Amino acid sequence: MEVTEKLKSLGLSDQKVKETLKNESLTVLLADIVDQAQGKGELNKSVGNLLYNLGTKLPRQFHTRLPLLVEYVARAQINQEAKLTAAIKFVQDHAMKDFNTADFEKACGAGVEVSQDEIEAAVAQVIKKHKEVILKQRYQYNTGPLMGQVRAILQWADSRKVKEEIDLQILTLLGPKKEEDLVKPVKKKTEKKENKPEVAQVQHTEKQSLTMTDLLKTVHFHAPGQNHQTEGYVITENTSRLLQEHLKITGVQVRTRFPPEPNGILHIGHAKAININFGYAAANNGMCFLRYDDTNPEKEEEKFFVGIKNMVEWLGYKPHQITHSSDNFQQLYEWAVTLIKKDLAYVCHQRPEEVRGHDPPPSPWRERPIHESLQLFEDMKNGKFDEGEATLRLKTMLEEGKMDPVAYRIKFIAHHRTGDTWCIYPTYDYTHCLCDSIEHITHSLCTKEFQARRSSYYWLCNAVDIYCPVQWEYGRLNMYYTVVSKRKIAKLISEGFVRDWDDPRLFTLSALRRRGFPAEAINNFCATLGLTGAQIIIHPDALEACVRDVLNVTSHRAMAVLNPLKVIITNYPNKGPTNVTVPNIPGNDSAGTHTVIFDEEVWIESSDFQEVEEKGYRRLTPSQSVGLRHCGYIIQVQEVVRNAQGGIDHLKVTCHKTTDANKPKSFIQWVSKPLKCEVRLYERLFNHKSPEDPSVVPGGFLTDINTNSLNVLSALVDVSVKGAQVLQKFQFERSGYFSVDPDSMPDNLVFNCTVGLKEDKRKV
Amino acid sequence: MSEAELRQHHLRVVKMEEEAERLASSLGALMTGTAEALETKGLVDKELTDLLNENKKLKYRTNILKRRVAQIGGKSSNSDTILSPETFKDQMCNILGQLEGIFSRAIQSAYPEATSPVVQIQLSKHADYQCNAAMALAKSLKKNPREVGEKILNSVATNPLIAKMDLSGPGFINVYLNQDFIRQQVTNLVVKGVTPPPTTPLRVVIDFSSPNIAKEMHVGHLRSTVIGESIARLMEFLGHDVLRLNHLGDWGTQFGMLIAHLEDKFPNFATSSPPISDLQTFYKESKVRFDEDEPFKKRAYQAVVKLQSHDPKHIKGWEEICDISKKEFKKVYKRLGVVLVDRGESFYQSRMEDIVKSLGAAGMLEEDEGRKVMFAEGADIPLTIVKSDGGFTYDTSDMACMKQRIEEERGQWLIYVTDAGQSQHFKTLFACAKKVGFYAPDRIRINHVPFGVVLGEDKKKFKTRSGETVRLVDLLDEGLQRSEEKLKEKERDKALTQEEFIRARDAVAYGCIKYADLSHDRARDYIFSFDRMLDFRGNTAAYLLYALTRIRSIARTAGVSSEEVVTMAQKGTVEFDHEKEWKLARTLLKLPDVLIRITDDLYTHPLCEYLYEVSTVFTEFYDNCYCVEKDSSGKIVKINNNRLVLCEATAAVMEKCFFLLGINTVSKM
Repeated sequence: MEVTEKLKSLGLSDQKVKETLKNESLTVLLADIVDQAQGKGELNKSVGNLLYNLGTKLPRQFHTRLPLLVEYVARAQINQEAKLTAAIKFVQDHAMKDFNTADFEKACGAGVEVSQDEIEAAVAQVIKKHKEVILKQRYQYNTGPLMGQVRAILQWADSRKVKEEIDLQILTLLGPKKEEDLVKPVKKKTEKKENKPEVAQVQHTEKQSLTMTDLLKTVHFHAPGQNHQTEGYVITENTSRLLQEHLKITGVQVRTRFPPEPNGILHIGHAKAININFGYAAANNGMCFLRYDDTNPEKEEEKFFVGIKNMVEWLGYKPHQITHSSDNFQQLYEWAVTLIKKDLAYVCHQRPEEVRGHDPPPSPWRERPIHESLQLFEDMKNGKFDEGEATLRLKTMLEEGKMDPVAYRIKFIAHHRTGDTWCIYPTYDYTHCLCDSIEHITHSLCTKEFQARRSSYYWLCNAVDIYCPVQWEYGRLNMYYTVVSKRKIAKLISEGFVRDWDDPRLFTLSALRRRGFPAEAINNFCATLGLTGAQIIIHPDALEACVRDVLNVTSHRAMAVLNPLKVIITNYPNKGPTNVTVPNIPGNDSAGTHTVIFDEEVWIESSDFQEVEEKGYRRLTPSQSVGLRHCGYIIQVQEVVRNAQGGIDHLKVTCHKTTDANKPKSFIQWVSKPLKCEVRLYERLFNHKSPEDPSVVPGGFLTDINTNSLNVLSALVDVSVKGAQVLQKFQFERSGYFSVDPDSMPDNLVFNCTVGLKEDKRKV
Repeated sequence: MSEAELRQHHLRVVKMEEEAERLASSLGALMTGTAEALETKGLVDKELTDLLNENKKLKYRTNILKRRVAQIGGKSSNSDTILSPETFKDQMCNILGQLEGIFSRAIQSAYPEATSPVVQIQLSKHADYQCNAAMALAKSLKKNPREVGEKILNSVATNPLIAKMDLSGPGFINVYLNQDFIRQQVTNLVVKGVTPPPTTPLRVVIDFSSPNIAKEMHVGHLRSTVIGESIARLMEFLGHDVLRLNHLGDWGTQFGMLIAHLEDKFPNFATSSPPISDLQTFYKESKVRFDEDEPFKKRAYQAVVKLQSHDPKHIKGWEEICDISKKEFKKVYKRLGVVLVDRGESFYQSRMEDIVKSLGAAGMLEEDEGRKVMFAEGADIPLTIVKSDGGFTYDTSDMACMKQRIEEERGQWLIYVTDAGQSQHFKTLFACAKKVGFYAPDRIRINHVPFGVVLGEDKKKFKTRSGETVRLVDLLDEGLQRSEEKLKEKERDKALTQEEFIRARDAVAYGCIKYADLSHDRARDYIFSFDRMLDFRGNTAAYLLYALTRIRSIARTAGVSSEEVVTMAQKGTVEFDHEKEWKLARTLLKLPDVLIRITDDLYTHPLCEYLYEVSTVFTEFYDNCYCVEKDSSGKIVKINNNRLVLCEATAAVMEKCFFLLGINTVSKM
């Protein structure tokens, strides 16, 4: 029989057959199912449909049960969707040696036939219970729930037959539809709201972003110990035992890990990984390890270790334990020997340049005798080979078609933890999953690129015969207008475009912190991204919006004048300076107040005065007065005093109490007896969204630098910021959010502009 | 010079000065070892950085390699080690071993990917030696053998041993030895005598002979004694620190009946030594009583208990019996030229108690029908450590004994020379010792040296005509008699003085018995035949001893004393003009390789084969090259000093071989 014929025999439409043929593996599978079903019973449309569903719904690792299920379906013992679903679930739940046919049949109702009499009786019973309501509501009555109730009594009753019977009995009860039965009922839209309690409503109106924990509570990962039910998991004869032991060790607790290579600085992309790993553990009362994946001896530096730990803690997470991949070097080595002995790994002498690139030639050493590889691996360990002269390779293929990934290579370099013990070092591919297994990680969460390594991950754990964690992937987070690669940032620093790894224009986590981004905002931002598999590139505005949300309700207000214009109040009403009380956070009385000084000499933002009137300009002009925030006065220009060059030197103004009658068009911030501070304003570091994209920036990212990305001003800030701590955050009214930079001195505060008050429209 | 030019020159000078400064500071940093600091100053150029990096890596690698060498340390045999030519100024060189080392290294550097390549070096008809490694290597690497041979050849590091090499056939590498090197070695043979090749000295404990007290030595003990003595001599020659132990059976239950019998026959044995003339008869008498007399048997058991609890009287009786026995053994050892330290099983009594305790505490003993046994991986049957009656067994004493030899004697190499019937026992013993931990195979070498049984000419077990076990003393006596007959048949009694004749008779008698034993593959049974071993033709001691006397007589008849020969040799001008001279020299210098090979498997017959080969090659040489030329009247016309040196060297080598085999040589025969 032709493959097409076979697919058609499942009752698929021509169109569906065409679509199915495009999916090669599914086609093969379905054809196989048809072959198996041949001669077991009549292959009618209903059976065909169930067989198709079986083929598409049964996860791969349970295909050992496929013949059994096909048999039940073909013999019409599993003859409805509900039974099939129950059967597949049973197979998944009893993946290992605990499969018992009697239990299986019971669980999926195999061969159970419900007679018409039984259906009639059950329907009658249910309708009798609801008779009064039905009689009252007549055909408005929703018969849907009745179905479920009948099914509760008769689990395997055919739903079509039940529906027919319900309709029939309702008709018998109510008689034919009358005219009023045909009128559509008016929907009462408000009904639902009324049920909600008052408090909930209030909370709802307050802007509340979804937290990471909330998000991760909704994620449908497997439960600990249910590894075998996940897609693509490989079940071996030891899986059952290993999972049992695993559960004993973990106490059925969720375990995750955040495994950065300690060779660079964390960036915004890592924030997502940290949040997902630590967040998922937190959401499930589990534990999360911070594991330094320090298999590569070349690059590790102490500052990176400390930096990573600091950033994790800054984001508010505490590792259950800090571990190092290098702790396991001896064990990893022993497992490598095991693999060689099992003929699953071999020593190869192909040069790195030979195996680089696409579709390299297969290794001529692949089939060398086991004892030879054992000896050579020993020789590698003992320094008998030079770098590049030998590697240990695994006999497996990655999904992307890469043959025999390297497990060990020679490096005559000391490791910061193991010293000069080793001259062979394991690769990421080899180390990662084995370390996960050693730590009994339940959910090995990683970015989507690693999906291609999943099968080798499982292969390796099973080859060594150890507990195999489950890998789940999520989309990687990328940002527009920045570069995050360690090498590129180093270049930016060495070329003098930015000052250091934590230059606030960068998107490393230390840079974001220095710029004033609250950890909470970063976490919330990650939560907004969700856990989809798609790779996302985010515009910095999205992150900045989250930052504003947090800072808006947390940062105290202050008044600052970035480009000062001196104003002398000629009719200053007080003798000497007076104090003005200002709320820390308007609208939130519990946040308290602070005082600022008001005196006859004040400074205002120079852009808040304009000599020439202009339509729509609502602030100070020679003829238009403006209000000074918080102090209750409005000022009016008396005289524009010019300097020698003809520019404005200062203004002389008069002031008046604000009353309902003379309400100004707007209020502006001002300072008096201010602190002189340095303020650093930032713009995007790059001109283009994707500075690394050669089609947009052919000259390379260094040619795309925005030379105006840093703007340093000498500003005047009100006295309330005096003594502010490093990283303390303020909202400079009408300007933006600012954070105290570590460069600050007690008498010269430095502020970084974190974000503007509104989305920055200057550049797109 | 224009202003512009001047400025340019000035700029150039400034630049050059900067460059000079940079170089100076680079050099300075390199010399003070602070080169890394330069990098931060931006003063390092790429080449220097690369070299510094490479240097760092090489240092790292050296360290790893050194550590590995230290780890495997003593285990590396001489054949893998290439020694500096300086070493061989005073010592004989294991030429084959050195060549193997040189070629292994060459192959390693030419083909690092080749695993444990077989480096076979053979004697060659076309050259001196030939290396055939290229064939097998080419096959495994799937390459052209001639190419492989070429590449190996080019990778051989220069060594004073090798004069030249060439490639022949499909990839054989011919090796021609350096004549200067051979000359120096041959000269040394005459001037300094036969010296051992370089060896790492070890503490060797060798256990051989080991008869039972109160029983007589029989032909079975002969083999252990002869083989053990030869191995011990070899070890000592190689420079090892050898302890020769006679593990006497002096603690068995037989002492109960012997002491009980002693009490009856010599009631005052405690005060005056019992005059037992024939311990064998005494033993038989007590055995008869033991088997037939129930009350005596009971007393015998009690006597065992008393002896083991160190009752003074019983100890005294035991000592008396042991002394008599040991005296008898001594006589035999003296005749055979064997030296041994007596150390019987009794020595280990307290150590047995200790080891039983510690094995019990370590949970290594299992109950088995009242016995306490010990299992170990790799051993099919367990050791019985404690019998159901609480007594100890050979297993117990052997365990205690091995532990004592390792821990107290600091033995690094234990050798047991016993019959092959005990192979299983030793296998189990070694496995258990390993399990307990005092035997660590990577630090301690233990060899069981098993041998087959002695058969009569009827190929059945060697027995007297009456079917009894042959007493060793009787056998030796017969040997003397047969030797005397043979020498008389050759009319040697007429040519030699009485004293010389006796010396020759003894040397031939004991020499033949030993040589016959040692020249056979010891693992096999061997047929004892006086007729064959006394044959003056072929590979027998009789022939070889005679051959040696002939070689010695060459110089003597020429009227040249051995001192004069040494003086000739000291000139260091030995030439190898004739191919037979060259062949003889090369053959003589094979001795170190033969000896090293014996240390690998402890088979002695290759040494006998070598000895025979030397005599054959010498005959070839002697037939072709005149040492002393005479005219028809028998008057000496020419003495070839060169060849006398070779004769002397041959004699020295043969002498050493005989010595190592435990055979006395004679100057006249």
